[in-house]
Amino acid sequence: MFELLFRYPLSAYAKGEWVFLARWPLWLLAAAILACAALLAWFWWRRQADAVSAVRGWRSAILWSLQAALVAALLLLLWQPALTLTSLKPQQNIVAVVVDDSRSMAIVENGKSRTETARAALEGGTLDALKAKFQTRIYRMSDVLDRVDDLKGLTMAGKSTHIGASLQQLAKESAGLPLGAVVLLSDGAENTGGLEVGALAELRSRRVPIHTIGIGKERPSLDVEIADVIAPSRALADSRISTQINLSSFGAVGRKVRLTVKDGGKALASKEVEIQGDARVQTENLTFNAGTAGARSFTISAEPLQGEENVLNNSVLRLVNVSGARPRVLYVEGEPRWEFKFIRRAVEDDKSIQLVTLLRTTQNKNYIQGVETTGDKELEQGFPATVDELFSYQAVVIGSVELNYFTTAQQELLKQFVDRRGGGLIMLAGRSALSEGGWPRSALAEMLPAALPDRKGTFHRDMLQVELTPAGVESPLCRLDEDSAKNAANWKKLPALMAWQELGPPKPGASVLAEIAGKRSPFVVVQNYGRGRTAIVAGDTWRWQMQQPVEDMTHEVFWRQMLRWAVSETPGRVISSTPRQVLVDDSRLKLSVDVRDRTFLPAADAKVEVRILGPSASGGIVELQADPVTPGQYAGEWTAEKPGQYVAEAVAKRGEEEAGRDVFTFERQDGIAENFHTQQNRELLEKLASTTGGKYWKADDLSKLPGEVSLSEAGITVRETKDLWNLPIVFLLLCLIKGSEWLLRRKWGVV
Amino acid sequence: MKLRTLATAAALGLTIWSGLYAFQRGRGLRSFLDEEDNPAPFPADGNDKTEFVFSRLRYSSMRNGYFGRAGGSWATDYPKADRQFVQGVRRLTRLNVRSVEQVVDLETDDIYNYPWIYATEVGRWGLNDAQVKKLRDYLLRGGFMMFDDFHGTFEWDVFMASMSKVFPDRPVVELENKEQVFHALYDLDERFQVPGIQFLFTGRVAENDGYVGRWRGIHDDKGRLMVAITHNMDLGDAWEWADHPQYPERYASLAYRVGINFIVYSMTH
Repeated sequence: MFELLFRYPLSAYAKGEWVFLARWPLWLLAAAILACAALLAWFWWRRQADAVSAVRGWRSAILWSLQAALVAALLLLLWQPALTLTSLKPQQNIVAVVVDDSRSMAIVENGKSRTETARAALEGGTLDALKAKFQTRIYRMSDVLDRVDDLKGLTMAGKSTHIGASLQQLAKESAGLPLGAVVLLSDGAENTGGLEVGALAELRSRRVPIHTIGIGKERPSLDVEIADVIAPSRALADSRISTQINLSSFGAVGRKVRLTVKDGGKALASKEVEIQGDARVQTENLTFNAGTAGARSFTISAEPLQGEENVLNNSVLRLVNVSGARPRVLYVEGEPRWEFKFIRRAVEDDKSIQLVTLLRTTQNKNYIQGVETTGDKELEQGFPATVDELFSYQAVVIGSVELNYFTTAQQELLKQFVDRRGGGLIMLAGRSALSEGGWPRSALAEMLPAALPDRKGTFHRDMLQVELTPAGVESPLCRLDEDSAKNAANWKKLPALMAWQELGPPKPGASVLAEIAGKRSPFVVVQNYGRGRTAIVAGDTWRWQMQQPVEDMTHEVFWRQMLRWAVSETPGRVISSTPRQVLVDDSRLKLSVDVRDRTFLPAADAKVEVRILGPSASGGIVELQADPVTPGQYAGEWTAEKPGQYVAEAVAKRGEEEAGRDVFTFERQDGIAENFHTQQNRELLEKLASTTGGKYWKADDLSKLPGEVSLSEAGITVRETKDLWNLPIVFLLLCLIKGSEWLLRRKWGVV
Repeated sequence: MKLRTLATAAALGLTIWSGLYAFQRGRGLRSFLDEEDNPAPFPADGNDKTEFVFSRLRYSSMRNGYFGRAGGSWATDYPKADRQFVQGVRRLTRLNVRSVEQVVDLETDDIYNYPWIYATEVGRWGLNDAQVKKLRDYLLRGGFMMFDDFHGTFEWDVFMASMSKVFPDRPVVELENKEQVFHALYDLDERFQVPGIQFLFTGRVAENDGYVGRWRGIHDDKGRLMVAITHNMDLGDAWEWADHPQYPERYASLAYRVGINFIVYSMTH
């Protein structure tokens, strides 16, 4: 319809340049229009006196405006409006037809594979029409780009799809050639997580339009996919690991899906979830025990539904380096308390934590427990006063201790312990703790996750229940049972606290995990501060041990989780990381190492090496380069040639002194990427077309594609001028104006 | 008629007065006025809520019947010994202690709110099966008990008749100097037999055939002491009569130190 009225396609108007072919200046056109309009106005004004009453006032204004519009349109046509277009010169340009040849193109839909659909779309006349106008080159695309003689060269065997890298390669290979346009047939299942802006830079600078043809269903009829799993890369032995599972699904609303975490063949945790919405990501949490120390591979899977189209996207692998280290926690208590005894008992059997305690029994005696070496001088002088002493712990717990017990230097040290060293700090309730101990006005109060009331009388020896907040229900810190429902039920059955302490509102960014029932005061509140983390447990929990059966482990589990949370993220002096531990159909490994000196300030003068050992004795040594912007950061890249598991050890040296070392694992997996995100990614294809000046096409409607391909400014082009005065729409418009005037005159009886 | 009205009014008045009196003595606390062995003033802060409460076990006594009145052996030295001892604990440690003791029994779950319990004259006690089970649970959950003031072979056997039912498979052992309980606060390597007040009248340290003071105990699976026994000794009397001019200071002092060590140990292990 558009082309019937306007003669040329819309894209021609979008890409073309508007001009007037008449030699007369444009100001003359404007002046002529104004003069004619004024003349007509004068004419109508003169006629007001002797005119019949029907065309007086607003009616005469309407008739004047219609006549003025007609005169203006005619004057515009006299100036000869036209469109100048740049188009490809026939037979002198190359058009690259790029066809996705990855494994996802083998997916069969409606009885045909996607490759067959692409082939049919091209062989239905489109390819011939392109060949008639241009030199056409056919490429197959997966993780690399290959030129093929014809469409028979498609194998559907590419292990991944790298659209950006392939287009970059095409731009490079066609650097000296008159590439006029690219026609890309793909399902858009890009495996690198999206298109990099830089990948299109060269084609865009050459103004090569990319026309994308979407292949494949935009949504499967029934599919559940594990889109992503967020899990920590390291954990303490026997600790609880919390994973966030992102499920995406189509056509499965209301269906029940069982999520399972397995270590080898052994199921560690599982839960049934109901699919809440269609074509959207649903987040679920699953916690499980990390088990013994070592490099562990966990498979997180969703049980396939009956009739599910693609079951290969129902599981993913995650690696966790389970550490056998025994972090040290210093617990300082100001007076003998039952809470002290029962916290010590709760973690006594925990092999993954060493709890060292300093208890002020009298004015003249500190009772020290948990120091492993007999005859050690540790803590003999009281709370640590030096960086070396305090930073040897990974977390600090402060019980019923007044602020003034710590010197100003110790308070500053404690702040640096959390902020710079990245340690964990847990504050407990007590008659000399928090507000009762003068903490609200200290510099340390800003680290705490809740405001402290600046008054006395906040500590109460009343037996009150606690209740989980919605954040606490899902938090691994408050997990007493793997099953969420059972966990919530267990918390409701807990015996009342023996005492509790009032807190102010939580700080922005803090999470209140549990509250004192009926008081709206936080019981467990946590937050990150600097490189570390802080928490307050505002109540005495020991009745959970004394009031429950001997075999009940609630109290033990709660405190072990609290202390592990406090220490598990506390970094060493050397910390290595990689953005992706599982390289799915990819071999490029990015390495990053953070190095600190003895006082945990960034060490910019280190020499950092990563030694990698992989399958079949593969591996190597990578020397990392210091980041010029961020002191203490070192980065590098390495290529994992073979699929399989790798162990890497980062070693940092400062001169002759070894600053530290850190071990991490990663795995290269092949033949996996194409199982995920298999529906057509129309959004990506549309974006690709629009940013390059091309257009998105459906595979079953390509009749106008060859004509559109011609409109390109790349390659060898010609400029054409198209007259616009003879467009059908122009004559229609003139007839419409004059016809409207005639109809109005007839209606008002003045014809 | 008038006489009956008067009598009713008098009875009512007496009841209200008794109630008020008892209330003044210990708001919210169970009162055992008629079982007090050695009455002591009720301190003004006796109702304060504190971290530690000296708890005394009220048990069924074999000689005086179940919860025998006026002199049930559980109440020996009660409450003066308790109140005098906690004054020392308050003065010598940083512990937040109530000035008035708490009487607990094995009939309700309230016992689990008091993880430290003192029991005296257990050479006369007798526990039924339900009480045995409760005491076992109490100790395994983390409770601590001190048994004191029983002497000689016969009373030991009576004590063990019930205690062996509580822990049939756990031996009672002699506590050595290296036990942490003797170092939790004071280093108590030099210990000696502590006699009761009868020492002043008889000049004898021992009672019955208990000639040697025994420091004994029962440990849990992790080697933590959960039962401390001072056999052939009477630390309760030493606390009670520490203010008596003739009672030797060395006995009172050791009794205080041992008692404090037991408390500090129970709150740290």
